[in-house]
Amino acid sequence: MKISAGYLPGLAADAVQWHTLTFGEGAQRVDVSVPQLTPAQLVTLAAHVRVQGRAQLQSMPVSQIIGAIDRAIERLLNPADPYRLELELLLPRISGFDAEMVRLGLNAYLKTFRAPQLQRFVAEDFANPKLLDEFQPRPKGGMARALGPELLVHVWAGNVPGLPLWSLVCGLLVKAPAIGKVASAEPLFASLFARLLAEVEPRLAEVLAIVWFKGGDTASERALFAEAEVVLAYGGNETLTALRQHVPITTRFLPHGHKLSVGLVSAAALDAQRMQAVARAAALDVVRYEQQGCYSPHTFYVARGGRVTPREFAQALAGELAALQHKFARRPLSLEEAASVAGWRQAQEMQGYDGAVELLGDAQTAWCVAYAEQASALLPCALNRTVQVQALERLDEVVPLLAAQREVLQTVGLAAAPRELHALAEQLGRAGATRLCALGQMTAPEAGWHHDGRFSLLDLVRMVELEASAEDAAESFAPYRD
Amino acid sequence: MNQTVTTAMQGATDGLVADLLAFIASPGATDEAFNALALRLFAHQFQHNAAFQKFCQQRGRTPRTVKRWQDIPAVPINGFKDLTLSCVPPQSCERVFMTSGTTRGDVKGRHYHPQLRVYDRSMTLNFRARFMAGRDRMRLGILFPDERLMPNSSLAHYLALALHDFGTPDSRYYLGAEGLQLDDLCATLAQVQAGGEPFALLGASYSFVHLMDALQARSLKFQLPAGSRLLDTGGFKGQSREMAMDEFYDALSITFGVPSSACINMYGMTELSTQFYDDGNAVLPAVKSGPHWIRSRVLDPLTGQDRPAGERGILAHTDLGNYNSVTTILTEDVGVQVDGGFLLLGRAQGAQAKGCSLAVDEFLRAAR
Repeated sequence: MKISAGYLPGLAADAVQWHTLTFGEGAQRVDVSVPQLTPAQLVTLAAHVRVQGRAQLQSMPVSQIIGAIDRAIERLLNPADPYRLELELLLPRISGFDAEMVRLGLNAYLKTFRAPQLQRFVAEDFANPKLLDEFQPRPKGGMARALGPELLVHVWAGNVPGLPLWSLVCGLLVKAPAIGKVASAEPLFASLFARLLAEVEPRLAEVLAIVWFKGGDTASERALFAEAEVVLAYGGNETLTALRQHVPITTRFLPHGHKLSVGLVSAAALDAQRMQAVARAAALDVVRYEQQGCYSPHTFYVARGGRVTPREFAQALAGELAALQHKFARRPLSLEEAASVAGWRQAQEMQGYDGAVELLGDAQTAWCVAYAEQASALLPCALNRTVQVQALERLDEVVPLLAAQREVLQTVGLAAAPRELHALAEQLGRAGATRLCALGQMTAPEAGWHHDGRFSLLDLVRMVELEASAEDAAESFAPYRD
Repeated sequence: MNQTVTTAMQGATDGLVADLLAFIASPGATDEAFNALALRLFAHQFQHNAAFQKFCQQRGRTPRTVKRWQDIPAVPINGFKDLTLSCVPPQSCERVFMTSGTTRGDVKGRHYHPQLRVYDRSMTLNFRARFMAGRDRMRLGILFPDERLMPNSSLAHYLALALHDFGTPDSRYYLGAEGLQLDDLCATLAQVQAGGEPFALLGASYSFVHLMDALQARSLKFQLPAGSRLLDTGGFKGQSREMAMDEFYDALSITFGVPSSACINMYGMTELSTQFYDDGNAVLPAVKSGPHWIRSRVLDPLTGQDRPAGERGILAHTDLGNYNSVTTILTEDVGVQVDGGFLLLGRAQGAQAKGCSLAVDEFLRAAR
């Protein structure tokens, strides 16, 4: 089947070149044509979106923007809506992820973008959200106003369904007209969202554009970034380093690099009653999106001293992964991915010769747990349901093991008693973690989370301060002065 | 090990090596003979190499259950880093070849050679057949450091053998401790061009890139005499800029006046004792093949099963020349089985995470 992606307000479809991206094989094959603009067309598009943004978006109160996003999200949550049906049909084919996994993941994710959650999201960063609408008095004196960028450029990466929605919504909430560059691995979601938004709120029909070009197309990157006030980019450090070279020094560059996450299981969670549920939650965190997310766990560190040993927990986790394979089958791996998984397995196996590592799951199973009695420093696994379980005497022994990954550490999923949780929170934060959550919730950050520890909205805006001195001085020039 | 056992083992090994050298010397050897020798070597390695024995046992493979050479467990090349793969104590070995350690920081793979008789015999027979084009000797230029500078490099030893066994007296190295001896090499190339005797330049692929860049900076090109040949090996390994294969061989022929059909690529590995060659690079990718004492398969990396002909998989090689380490290795190279050999399609790395999670491959690249 053939579909088209991209969204180009102000540009005729036949005025641009189209490139075809192919996903899947046989009956599952999808050809997605994506618009490939010339650098000059990108500049024209940027000008159009910027002008429309000024005229339409910037005059809307935040509450109305939230209302529009809410209506779009409501449509996407409706199982009978044509946009929803298209996502459910195509995202699994494009990403290769299990269809039911995509459906459940979408629901959990979209729910965090309803109106009350969006209001909370704004309130997280702005104690007074009206700063985004007009000048507001400041406690220190004077007034202030938060202005979003005249043009925001998104560069998305990867195939985790829905990822672009996150930054798209951030941009809209600060009233930034935007051009998004979709990833070759998943060009659909952002395009559909832009179309749907135009349908539910005509004032937003020309303030977003969705384009595509090949990664490393420096002419396009340079042309587009030169137009932007803020560039928000996702990708590996190599990609981000390359992108940054084309961003003018006066343009704010907000990189989101690849991240690592881990799970921690306290002895308090390891009794016969609770252990199975904890293992189930941990397995779900591994299976969801095949560990492709920054929030996906690579290692579970498990404390000794509970009724259930760390090794028994590893076995329970393996059992849950085996059970989940029936419900959400792992997608077929590319040769490179298979080689990576095989290489990881072999490396674990060779470490196991002195009894240090025990592999659960053989080469034929679609998952693999590597259990170690002796915990070691956190290292990435091979993704696609490969995970380590390592035993510790006490949970806080994990802190030095995370030290080398400080720059890339993100989420820590925990199953621990309150006292431990709060004591660990401080230490984990210092170790580099930016998000602590329950096991089973690792892949579903709550609405308004501070992605990678940053202020998702505040980082986008520019504060304009009207100082008290100007107000005072103005008084002396007032027509009513004495 | 006590003296009696050592002597008995030495006797067994000597017999094995003698039979192996005889096999290498008989081009008409049958499949059955290959299989029989592979199984003998497997039994020998299983018995005398504890790490390999564990590796096999974990897969349920022993000399009792393995009846075909294809069933010998393939040891991933990382095994040469993590395990000691030798039937004799490593300290008793004449030479240890080490990998350049490009993928895992400074952890180097080690290939132990008790003596180099088998390696040298394998190299020289094969080199004569695949590179010398009927000549006994020719003038060679080597674009690689010598064995004194790189005693643990299998490529340095390979090139030293080429120079010693196939080079005329005026053959020499053009790369020393101070780098490329460009003036000397330019003088030689000019002299050879005028003289009309065929010349061969051999070295790492990345050295050719450096050389071509240096020649271009001097606006120099050569038209080497008919019969001249080039041999490159090893790819670019981050040592020079990356070039596409067609671009590389086009540039070689333009710079040296040697047709792509006389530009031979050697595919060798520290973990092997035998090399593969193509018959020129006029058509890309060129078909690679080896002599009768090495066989290659294209595998599914997870299941270890053969891939159907024409489908991509990971290359595994069974090299009878590896009599002391392990006969069968699993590479990280992607290949396709074709008539007359296999196509080499690059490395299987680049399994970049498609999402935003750090993947082990990316991590290793960054840690380099």
